[in-house]
Amino acid sequence: MTKMTRTQITWIEGSIVEDDIHMSILEISKAARAPAELIMSWVSEGVLSPAGSSPEDWRFSNDSLRRAKTAAHLTHDLELNTPGVALALDLLDEIARLRNQLLRENIT
Amino acid sequence: MKFRDYYETLGVARSATEAEIKAAYRKLARKYHPDVNKEASAEDQFKELGEAYSVLKDTEKRAAYDRMGANWKNGQDFTPPPNWNEGFEYSNDNYSDGHPGFGGGHQGNQSEFFESLFGQGRYRQGGRGGNPSQGMDFKGQDHHAKISIDLVDAYNGAKRTITLHMPTQDTSGHVSTQERKLDVSIPKGIKAGQNLRLAGQGGPGMGAGGSGDLYLEIDFHPNPIYRVDGKDVYLDLPLAPWEAALGTAVNIPTPAGSTLELTIPAGTATGRKMRLKGKGIPSKEAGDLYVVPSIVLPGAETDLQKEAYQTLEKAFDFKPRTHLKG
Repeated sequence: MTKMTRTQITWIEGSIVEDDIHMSILEISKAARAPAELIMSWVSEGVLSPAGSSPEDWRFSNDSLRRAKTAAHLTHDLELNTPGVALALDLLDEIARLRNQLLRENIT
Repeated sequence: MKFRDYYETLGVARSATEAEIKAAYRKLARKYHPDVNKEASAEDQFKELGEAYSVLKDTEKRAAYDRMGANWKNGQDFTPPPNWNEGFEYSNDNYSDGHPGFGGGHQGNQSEFFESLFGQGRYRQGGRGGNPSQGMDFKGQDHHAKISIDLVDAYNGAKRTITLHMPTQDTSGHVSTQERKLDVSIPKGIKAGQNLRLAGQGGPGMGAGGSGDLYLEIDFHPNPIYRVDGKDVYLDLPLAPWEAALGTAVNIPTPAGSTLELTIPAGTATGRKMRLKGKGIPSKEAGDLYVVPSIVLPGAETDLQKEAYQTLEKAFDFKPRTHLKG
């Protein structure tokens, strides 16, 4: 049978990714549920642009987290390869940019 | 329980080949993928597609499904016949879709129908109830959820109670829906699309691994007055023609809840944005509030009003269509 359980937790303070914290390759790998090798292949394809020169120094932004999550979904769900993911993300960004432009101009 | 017509979901004939099923699934999966399609219903449709495909791509499952007969209709009340799957064997990898551990796909939340036929708990009658889609994945250690807040919360900060629904599996494979209430402080300055990391609020760790983190992706409720782009906020300001032409001072509401007096310079044109620096979403570098004037023309109904327009006409030698050269 289905069980419903409830856990009550008191006020939790969060940290805003990028404003307060920058993510390492291990953190973004865990958060996006993508192996570190895949994260590295996305960096070399230009899908993610971390600050820092070597993988140990890499620091990822919130935008990278967003892109890595989408990349992980697309890789898994649509079996896209890395260049395909890169193209899809660029096109999705372009659509988002155009949508925001419509929003700014108040055209809906 | 409602019957699900997986062939109809994928839009293929019952006689479709494996290749046809795969092509139909791929095409629809691209169309309804929740990262691609921003319609609210896309996620549910994508899950239905995944469920249909997971059965029809698998020869054994498809054969077992086909044995139910071709006369069932989508949404029809359905009880699986006894021993319907006798003689069929398939591995129960539905929850992971064969990608244990890593695999950041959108999965889980199969229908009751699927669960009772192919799910791990198919020996149980009934299933878990409706599972409100909270964007919650449950594999791995870090959890993700989306929450919507009001724009004013980003200006002032807020405390919000959010409810998350997570299907979890216990050691004996039973699935239960865990409802968690979290009281979260929303920090001032958060923007749509940003993630709030709640350390240690994700899935329980294995061994000494410690708990994962919970990431809350922030979205704003639609606002009737303001439009938000990143940290900048836009406000449309209707002006009467004489206000725009002669200049005036107006009171405008700010998203933070206060009122600002704004001077409208003489000769203000529709669409000529006025920037109120730093009045956007606050942060280290605060965003700006843009006021976008739009001139609203009153209709001429009474004689006095018509006369006023005629006076305007006489006062101006106004040719608005010179560029048409007609």
